[in-house]
Order: sequence, then structure tokens, then C-alpha cells
Amino acid sequence: MAEHEAIIERMRDSILEADDDEAVAAAEAALAAGMDPLAALEAGFSEPIRELGEAFNRLEIFLPQLVLSARTMQAGLKVLERALTTAAREAARKGVVVIGTVEGDIHDIGKTIVVAMLRSAGYEVHDLGTDVPLPQFINVAEQTHADIIGMSALLSTTMLRQRDLLELLQLKGIRDKYFVIVGGAPATQAWADSIGANAFARDAHEAVLCLNARARNVTSRA
Amino acid sequence: MPLTAPLRILTEDQIQAIHQAALGLLQRTGIVVKEARARRYFRQAGASVDESSGRVRLPPDVVEAALKLAPDSFVVHARVPDRSVEVSYRRMHVEPMIGRLNILDHLTHQRRRTSLQDVANLVRVADALEHYHLLHSGAIMPSIEGVPLHAAHAHGYLASVSNTGKVVKGSPRGRAIAEDCIRMAAVVAGGEDALRQRPNIFTTVNPVTPLQHDEGQTEGLIEYASFGLPIDVTSEPQAGATSPVTLAGLLAQQTADVISGITLAQLVRPGTPVWYGTCGAIMDMKVGRIALGAVEAGLINAASAQIAAFYGIPCRGTGSTTDSKALDMQAGYEKAITLFMAALGGINCLFYPGTMESALTISLESLVVDHELCGMAYRALRGIQVNADTLAAPLIEAVGPGGNFLGERHTLKFLRQEQFLPTLSNRQTREDWAERTGSATTWDQAHTEVERILATHTPPPLDPQVQTELERIVREVEARGAVARALA
Ligand code: B12
Repeated sequence: MAEHEAIIERMRDSILEADDDEAVAAAEAALAAGMDPLAALEAGFSEPIRELGEAFNRLEIFLPQLVLSARTMQAGLKVLERALTTAAREAARKGVVVIGTVEGDIHDIGKTIVVAMLRSAGYEVHDLGTDVPLPQFINVAEQTHADIIGMSALLSTTMLRQRDLLELLQLKGIRDKYFVIVGGAPATQAWADSIGANAFARDAHEAVLCLNARARNVTSRA
Repeated sequence: MPLTAPLRILTEDQIQAIHQAALGLLQRTGIVVKEARARRYFRQAGASVDESSGRVRLPPDVVEAALKLAPDSFVVHARVPDRSVEVSYRRMHVEPMIGRLNILDHLTHQRRRTSLQDVANLVRVADALEHYHLLHSGAIMPSIEGVPLHAAHAHGYLASVSNTGKVVKGSPRGRAIAEDCIRMAAVVAGGEDALRQRPNIFTTVNPVTPLQHDEGQTEGLIEYASFGLPIDVTSEPQAGATSPVTLAGLLAQQTADVISGITLAQLVRPGTPVWYGTCGAIMDMKVGRIALGAVEAGLINAASAQIAAFYGIPCRGTGSTTDSKALDMQAGYEKAITLFMAALGGINCLFYPGTMESALTISLESLVVDHELCGMAYRALRGIQVNADTLAAPLIEAVGPGGNFLGERHTLKFLRQEQFLPTLSNRQTREDWAERTGSATTWDQAHTEVERILATHTPPPLDPQVQTELERIVREVEARGAVARALA
């Protein structure tokens, strides 16, 4: 048991220190020691990254710390995922998010922060980058069995692409498959309502709260 | 009067090191150029171009030859001749902000979307204030509240040019929008030839840092350059987010962004007037947002001015910026620090007065307050003249120990040139301040001044024929959008 605790401690430290190699090594050690991958994931990776996310929100740590640690978690997670049964994998993830900055828009920073915070909150996030053509959101969402699509737009002109994607989803008859959340400087709650998006978030923290609320609803309905 | 910039941030060696690092980046890493015609210009000049990735690698001699073609001074002609601006790397002019997504409503104090009426008011106030020269405009705004999206630039340009005799800026966002702005400027100039000879419009092109030139703005660059119209190529790195956190790294990367854009402008038309532009700042790593009012922004601006002067090209930078949401103490000290570092550092076109909230919001009162700061900056730049008259030794001797200078002709004679007369700062006693102004704050003072200008200032009207023709173009641009929608 002491050995297991030591491994969890190593995993935690690897996240807090953003040491990718150590995260991989610690995750491998956890599997070699026969630990339950789901429990190891929760205590070793998810908990510390959540703490970091909350610390960032309280203005206690710097953004690059969060971004780097979220990336470390990705590295460690890959090791554990191999050992997770499909059922356990479903239980582990709170949601799969496909996110990007819409076509015609190259503003990157806000979306990058949202990605880091969502990862730190335990979401599987596929970041498509910037200037993303609308069909790509849908293609990747279908391929990755995502349940959430996030769109960032910083220009009042490109904001209209958020509306277009919702129309495209309607047209393809798959609107109900996805929870669509929009954000970016010109977007507002009123805009999100008017285009029929599921949610709007002012910043990355609000995005996490909003998706967490959704996750709770989904689980309680299931 | 030519200005000398007393604030030196970089040594000659450091400037060389930044220049060499930028050339190295352009040669080895290269830039991604998303516009095909631009890649053709670069290829013909001897760059290595990978068509599939858009990556362009520029040999140093191509860049250095192009930089030599850029003029060190040029004139941007205003429709009222005495408002024309002689841009030079030895002078400072101010470009107040006009078009922002949001405006702090001067009556309700609430933030709301900027409308066409706001654009007209902002331009009118800027027209009345003497230290504002090159006006940003409604044409630049991607959208204006209450105006059809596809015609925002045309409406924005008309609302701007009809409310000022000063130089008005156009948009580069895509070929069609650039063409519309240039077409409208040509009407004001009296035809395309007149426009080529006497440019009355300028624009900003933003490389997408690090090391990218996007399609729309590059199309715009080519349009403006082919008419020989002035362009500021302005990179907007945020240290730690879109550039290295080290300011030296930021400057090297920014320089690579900017001089590759300037190279393109010179390849399109040798001698195209340009500014080396910076909107460099830092990201605040605790809140994860851009910090435009940071002291580091001041350092970046002063250093950029030195780099541009090294190229013999005027520099456009930022000052009077703040991240504050109110016109409060934070706004006051951030605006003062950024403006003074930029001005004393040698920025030639000083952009951003009028803004608040990290330049997300514009305010009429802020335009007035920042104008006062600009007046002080001009005073600071004039420095201290030392000669027999100003040393005034005979006068001091005449007044003698224990005397005073209030009754001296010398005092009256030199008063105006020596002292800046503030219009907003209150220097009365507490009692007078309370009785005469009702204890007015800076905001109250600025607000009164805004009201006064809006009630009394009439900008020089456009020639009625020009006005009619511009209105016709606006209608035409609107109709074009309607056709495009019908066909879609
Ligand atoms: C940096 C910047 C740039 C950089 C971008 C660099 C990069 N790699 O990202 C450069 C220089 C390239 C750039 C270019 C342009 N820009 Co710009 N830019 C900015 C600036 C100054 C900061 C943006 C930023 O990074 N903010 C910091 C982040 C953290 O905030 P954020 O993006 O809002 O994100 C937060 C929330 O919105 C939310 N969020 C964001 N995305 C999402 C997504 C989801 C799903 C959710 C839930 C939440 C969410 O959470 C984030 C974190 O808390 C803003 C002004 C400002 N102060 O915001 C203008 C601004 C966005 N730009 C603007 C403009 C006009 C342009 C240009 C058109 C300029 C031009 N000369 O033509 C070009 C357009 C290029 C293009 N095709 O997209 C305007 C847009 C105005 C409008 N009416 O639409 C702005 C608002 C400035 C202004 N004029 O008022 N820009």
C-alpha cells in the first residue's frame, strides 16, 4: 500500500512540476504495481490538475504553469488509457470537447486558455487551432465521438460562423448530438440564445463551470 | 521643429543584435505568407518559397535592399491643407483611436456597442483637438452597431471623413474592402491620379505574430502599396503568449514580422511610405489577458523606435493605453507611463489615445484627457533650451537676492514657450476648487469639454458633390451585399 501511495505521490509531483517524462514513468509504475488505473488517474493526475486550475482562477499561479501541467497530464493519461476498460474510460471522462477558433479568425490566446482549463477540469479536448473550416468541427466531432463543440470567435464578423455551424448541424440532422458552447470578445449570452447555442461563457473558468453543470445533468438523467 | 528622443533603451550593439536575429529568423525559419500574389513577389525577388505550406524564406540582402527603398519621411495630405501631416522619424504625430467594438457611453457611463453616431462624435471631437493628427476611423471597424456588416467600412469611412478636415484611415481587410476605401479616398482627393500624387489615406496591416502574413490583410497591403499609399506594418506580440517572454526575443520576432511586411510593400511598389509598427505588450500571466498599460509596453515602444530609426523609417507605436475599466488612478498612471516612454523614446506616430480596458473600449472623455497628456508629452519633447536669453543671468542679477520675477517682462515674454498650460488639471486651492467647479473630478472636467465641443465645433464640410458621390458609393456597397445574399 505504501508503494501505491508513493506512486500516487510521484504522479502528483509530475503534474505539479510539469515533468512529462516523470508522468509517463509514474503512470507506468502504477500499472506495473497492478494499481486500478481509474483510481490512479483520479488521485494522481486529475486531483492535482484540478487544484492548479482552481489556483489559477484565484490568481495564485501563472498561466504557463497551468498550460504546461495540462500538457503533462495528457502525456501521463495516454499511458493509463491503454489499461482502462471501455466502461472505465467512459466513467473517467466528463466529456469530449472539440474546440477551435472559427474560419477567418486567427485569434488564438483565449481559446488556448479555455483548452488548458477544460483539460485541467478533466475533459478530453481536441484543439483544432485557428481559422477552422466549419466542416472540420463536425468531422472531428464525429470521429472522436465528442459530445461538446466549442467555438471561439473574436471578431464580430467571424462570430457569424458560430451561427452557421449550428445551422449546418441542423441541416445534417445531428444538432441534438452536441452540446454547443460559444465564446470570444464579441459574443454574449443574448447572441448565444439568438443562434440556439446551448451555452455561452465569458471566460475559461465560466466555461468549466458551465460544462460541469451539464455533466451533472447528463449523469443524473442517465 | 524636429524632435530628439532623449530616452535610449538599447545600445547600438543591442540594436544590431536584434536586427541580425530578425534577419536570421527570416532566412532560416521564414514566414508563412497566405496570399498567393505576395508569394510571387517574394519568389521573384529571390526568396525560397514553398507553395504547399506558404513558407517563404528571405535572404538578408533582399530584406536589406527593400528597407533602403522605404522613405524616411513623407506627407499624408489632409482635405484641409493645413492639417496635412509630414511624417518623419524626427517628429511625433498622434493617431487617436476612433473605431472600437465598445464605447463607454458618456451620458450613462455604461459600456455598449459603438454606433455610427458614436463614430461621428468621436471624429468630431478629435477634429477639434489640436494634438490629434492622423485619425483612426470607422472604416477600420469590422462591424458598427446598426449598420449592415458588409458595408461597415463604407459607412465608417463616410461618417469619419465628413466630420473632420484631418487625415482619415482606411481598412486593409481584404481586397474588396481595401478597394472601396481607396475608391472613396480618391473621390475626396479629386480622382485616382490626385490620390497617387497626394495620398490622403493610410492603413494598418497586422502580421499575425509569430511570423505569419494572413490572406485578407496581405491583399490589403498590396492594394494600398500599389497606389503608393502609406502603410504601417504593425506586429502585436504579447510577451509570453505570442512571443518569447523575454523582451529581446519579442523585439527580434516583431522585427522579423514587420520588416518582412515592409519588404513586400517595397516589392509591390518601391518607395511605398511605411511605418515600422508595434502594438507589443505583455500577457498578464495571472489573469491570462493582454496588459497594454504595462510598463514593459513602454520599454517595447521606446526600443522599437530605436530599431526603426536604425532603419531610417518612421515608427508607429502605442501610448496612453490602460487596462483599467474606469478613468481612474490606474488609467491615469498607465496612460502617463506608456505615453511618456513612447514619446520620449522617439515614437513618430503614437496610437491608442482614447482607449481604455485594454483597448476594447473607446471613450469621448478619454480622448479629451489623453489629448492633455499629449500636450504635456510635446512639452517634454521640446526639452530645455539653454542660451544667454534663457539662462537670464543679467535678469537674476537685476532682481537680486530675495527678489521675485512676477513683475519682469522676461517672465511674460518666455511664459508661453516655457510652460504648458493644462486645460483639465486643477491647481486652485481646495476652497476655490469646491466653490468654482463643484469639486469637479478629471472625468467631470473632460465630460464638460466633450459637451462643449459637441455643441460648438463644426468640422469643415465636404464639398457637396463629393458628399453626394461618397453617399452613392455607400449605397452601392450596401446593394452589392444584398445581391451576394440573393445569389447565395
Ligand atoms: C492580440 C489581438 C490580436 C492578435 C492575435 C494574436 C493571436 N495569436 O491570437 C493579432 C494582431 C493577430 C490580431 C489581429 C486582428 N485583430 Co485583434 N485583437 C487582439 C487583442 C488585443 C487581444 C485578444 C486576446 O488575446 N485577448 C486575451 C484573451 C485571453 O481573451 P479572449 O480572447 O477574449 O478569451 C477569453 C474569453 O473571450 C473566453 N473565450 C474565448 N474563446 C472562447 C471559446 C469558448 C468556446 C468559450 C466558452 C469561451 C471563450 O475565454 C477566454 C479566456 O478567459 C483584442 C483586443 C482585446 N483587448 O481583447 C483585439 C481584437 C479582438 N482584434 C480586433 C481586430 C479588429 C483585429 C483585426 C481585424 C485587425 C486588423 N487590423 O484588421 C485582425 C484580424 C485577424 C483575423 N483574421 O482574425 C478587434 C475585434 C473588433 C470587432 N468588432 O470584431 C479587437 C476586439 C480589438 C478592437 N478593435 O476592439 N488581433
